[in-house]
Amino acid sequence: MTGKWQLKDHEAEKQLFTRRLAVAAVIVALLFSALIVKLFDLQVVQYEYFSARSDGNRLHSQYVPPARGLIFDSQGELLADNQPIFNLTIVKEQVEDLDSTLAFLATLIRLSDDDIAQFQNRLNRNRVPFSSVTLRYLLSEEEKARVAVNSHQLAGVAIESQFVRSYPLGSLTAHSVGYVSEINRAEMNALTDAQKENYGGTYHMGKSGVERTYEALLHGTVGYEIVEKNNRGQIMRRLDRTDPVAGKNLTLHLNAKLQMAAEQALGDFRGAVVAIEPATGGILAMVSKPGFDPNLFVTGISNKDYSVLVNDVVNTPLFDRSTNPYPPGSTVKPFIGLAGLQSGTIDYEFTIQDPGYFRLPGVSYRWGDYTLRTAIGGGHGETDLQKAIYQSCDTFFYDLGHRLGIDSIHGFLSQFGFGDNFALDVGYARTGVLPSRDWKRESRGEPWYPGDTINSSIGQGYMWATPLQLATATAILANRGAVVQPRMLKAVDGVPFEPLNNDPKPEIFADDADYWRYIHEAMTMVVHRPFSDEFRDYGTAYESIAMQDRAMPYLMAGKSGTAQVVGISQEILSSEDIIVSDLNKDHGLFVSFAPAMHPEIDPKISVAVFVENGEHGSSVAGPIAKQVIDTYLLEILRLDFGAADLEAAGAIVTQLDE
Amino acid sequence: MNNPDFVRQASSFNASRRSGASLWQALHIDPPLLIGVCLLGAFGLFVLNSATGGDQAVIRRQGIVMVVGLIVMCAVAQFNVHFFRRWAPPIYGAGIALLILVLFIGAEVNGAKSWIDLPGLPRFQPSEIMKFVVPVLLAWYLASRPLPPKFKHLFWSAVMIVIPAGLIVLQNDTGTAIMVFMSGVFVVLLAGIRWRIVFAGLFVGLLGSPAWYLFLAQAHQKNRILTFLDPYRDPTGAGYNIIQSQIAIGSGGIYGKGYGNGAQSHLDFIPESHTDFILAVLAEEFGLLGVLFLIGLYLFVLLRGFAIAYAARDLFGRLLAGSITLTFFLYVFINMAMVSGLVPVIGLPLPLISRGGTSIVTLFIGFGLLMSIQTHDRQKFP
Repeated sequence: MTGKWQLKDHEAEKQLFTRRLAVAAVIVALLFSALIVKLFDLQVVQYEYFSARSDGNRLHSQYVPPARGLIFDSQGELLADNQPIFNLTIVKEQVEDLDSTLAFLATLIRLSDDDIAQFQNRLNRNRVPFSSVTLRYLLSEEEKARVAVNSHQLAGVAIESQFVRSYPLGSLTAHSVGYVSEINRAEMNALTDAQKENYGGTYHMGKSGVERTYEALLHGTVGYEIVEKNNRGQIMRRLDRTDPVAGKNLTLHLNAKLQMAAEQALGDFRGAVVAIEPATGGILAMVSKPGFDPNLFVTGISNKDYSVLVNDVVNTPLFDRSTNPYPPGSTVKPFIGLAGLQSGTIDYEFTIQDPGYFRLPGVSYRWGDYTLRTAIGGGHGETDLQKAIYQSCDTFFYDLGHRLGIDSIHGFLSQFGFGDNFALDVGYARTGVLPSRDWKRESRGEPWYPGDTINSSIGQGYMWATPLQLATATAILANRGAVVQPRMLKAVDGVPFEPLNNDPKPEIFADDADYWRYIHEAMTMVVHRPFSDEFRDYGTAYESIAMQDRAMPYLMAGKSGTAQVVGISQEILSSEDIIVSDLNKDHGLFVSFAPAMHPEIDPKISVAVFVENGEHGSSVAGPIAKQVIDTYLLEILRLDFGAADLEAAGAIVTQLDE
Repeated sequence: MNNPDFVRQASSFNASRRSGASLWQALHIDPPLLIGVCLLGAFGLFVLNSATGGDQAVIRRQGIVMVVGLIVMCAVAQFNVHFFRRWAPPIYGAGIALLILVLFIGAEVNGAKSWIDLPGLPRFQPSEIMKFVVPVLLAWYLASRPLPPKFKHLFWSAVMIVIPAGLIVLQNDTGTAIMVFMSGVFVVLLAGIRWRIVFAGLFVGLLGSPAWYLFLAQAHQKNRILTFLDPYRDPTGAGYNIIQSQIAIGSGGIYGKGYGNGAQSHLDFIPESHTDFILAVLAEEFGLLGVLFLIGLYLFVLLRGFAIAYAARDLFGRLLAGSITLTFFLYVFINMAMVSGLVPVIGLPLPLISRGGTSIVTLFIGFGLLMSIQTHDRQKFP
């Protein structure tokens, strides 16, 4: 207690306090100085650095993808459109916990395992850091609202609008126009750096058909913009912008109405129809049936949908029948016949006596006449080339083929595009096979046998051709030798377009231009030569085409073909729900052009029809060709043929030979 | 105990403006302090307006809090500071009781269970009041004992400081505990505690801090220290605040981006931009010059506080005024230093600038006490 009562020295205590206060003031000054030094360091010394960091925080350069060019048919109908959709996108770098965010999102929107798997795939692709990746396409209005309401809990998640491809005609143009879908890793890696740059902000590219062929024209040029974003990645302002250049709008030769007619004409059959404008080679219609909905692929087809398409081994909807080869059968006969005339092997007067089969000299094997399989014995009797064509006499062509030899056949038919892809912008079309000695040696390692020629001369054996090739060859025939090369693209941004042709094909010259007339007549007889007293003296397609429509205002040249099914894969045979006998049925083919033999109007359309397991070319494929031609000539072109001309030409076709 | 000499000395401090001083003296208002505080508050509202993007509701509320604070300040200033001296022990006892009560019935806000929320009364934090109760008690205790304080007195002083500080730590409010602790320590330091003891204490603290770090520190505290040492070890997590705040400050440069143009704050890159990190907004928009202006305002208030402490009539007033001023400085410094990355992040607001409620009113209580020390006429006291 003594301390408490100790005398206090006030003056000393005050001095002590004052000294302490001074020390405190000095410390305060020192600490403030330290603070100012620190601030000076941040704001003056490191100003440039932090200024750049600040801009880097808020300023983002981003791509502005160009609008993809639209695709129109020749009449201006839209075949490929761009439609706005809303997608849920995620910037992975801004998401704190991806798994829990995905789990939360799954409670807000429909989110399948498939969506998440595809999202992970997209994440794993080469991508710019801090770029958004789509999790779900096509949000509904309700889903958009739910995400928007919860946006504060969804850092890094955004709803982005995007224009995506839409194909208004759906499966009708699935193979010809093709489709776009997401750029996959391999495609991305195949791009050059400049191309990669140009695809910034673009997620889709053409995968098939015109969409793929003309990707470079359709895509356009990427634009850029500098935007200011807040810390949640929302765009607050746009500061600078270089507009993208939209892709070019393409007009095709394709005619949607004709395409539709062809698809309908095929009915329930699997098959293909290709129609070409002989004057230009423009592809008026190119249908493969069954098709599929190309719109499914645009936003990433689900595994389920895809497996349905892939596992349908009978209908194979993804398989483009119009550009894949089949044995052409008797449809090659007019070309072989023309080869015979041109080579001088035969002339108009040349005839054979057909016993119903053919035998090579010194060989006992008989090549039977397929066209007479069901008939009661006997052959076609005395047969000249025209008769051999309109009656589809195999024996005549066995004989002719034998006389010509495979080298002549190959040389002549190759001018029509057999064994080659004449198309200028259908690069994916197969070339089929126009057999030759070299071809057989190379592909089979075997020499050419005379019997091979016999098979080839009726379009069997090694000979394979696509419906596109058949339509092209028929168009050249209709043109009397003027070679046209098939093309899809008619105009770019309204300006007529001539596709690049690195390998122009020469015109086919016949020694006597009358050969063309002769063949045209024979093919017209196929369709129009009626029954007569003469045994079997009528066109193979008369009954199914001309007889069905006696008021036909034009003449149609055609040739039917029936091709044997060459082999069905074990996979199909072992599948249970298929009637195998149906799959063993022959394929029916028909090639045709019209109007034929018209004194004033050149042929306007050539058509090749392929009907899978259709059994008969003339009775099944023929009427389909007729329907397509009717639609084109009568409904689309609305031609007036003149009754007098028709009658005169008809008289030639129906007159009896002797 | 109070000799007339000292009275004359202290009065001479105000001699130059004696004529106007009498009115203010009667109102118990210290004009320089009032001007400094008002300038700070006005500047704070101005910055807050930008930080909140012109949110009028927030601005209005902050304005009301300021006005309430001014009223409280004036009210406190009406009490002769010796009233508090006389009642120091009971006030302290009541404070401790409230702190204990909070542990049982306290309401939890932002992880700190430090609020008393009784129906019919405004919600308040007893711990805030302890920032004055502790220095008042210590000033009362040490002023009547010979200085420099003897070891025995230091021991009891330590007990008086540690009890409330410890209770506040139990409330999980380390920031306030540090401030309460320091408010007491400042009294002891100003009372002339021998330097060797101070250095010994610092030495022990220095030696003890690794042990504290290894054995006592909680995970979030360790994290804050690691983040302070290297913000980029977790740039999007723990380090995000300090990195973004440094970017904001640094990008402000000397002159700033201009009022309302702070990209960092307006694009929400700065978290807590209304409260603890408001300095980043200010520094971004007004640059180094703006920050220096703010430091100038603070210095003005601090110098006035020092002057009041220096001129105070008796030791109690001196110690209390010194402690209040230094506590205010500590507030300012810790906030500014943590936002600019000079010290680890401790959750303290920037006085009079940050958006707040109780914390602002508490500051005004401190200014009220300073005014009371300055203006209550010495002659009246026996």
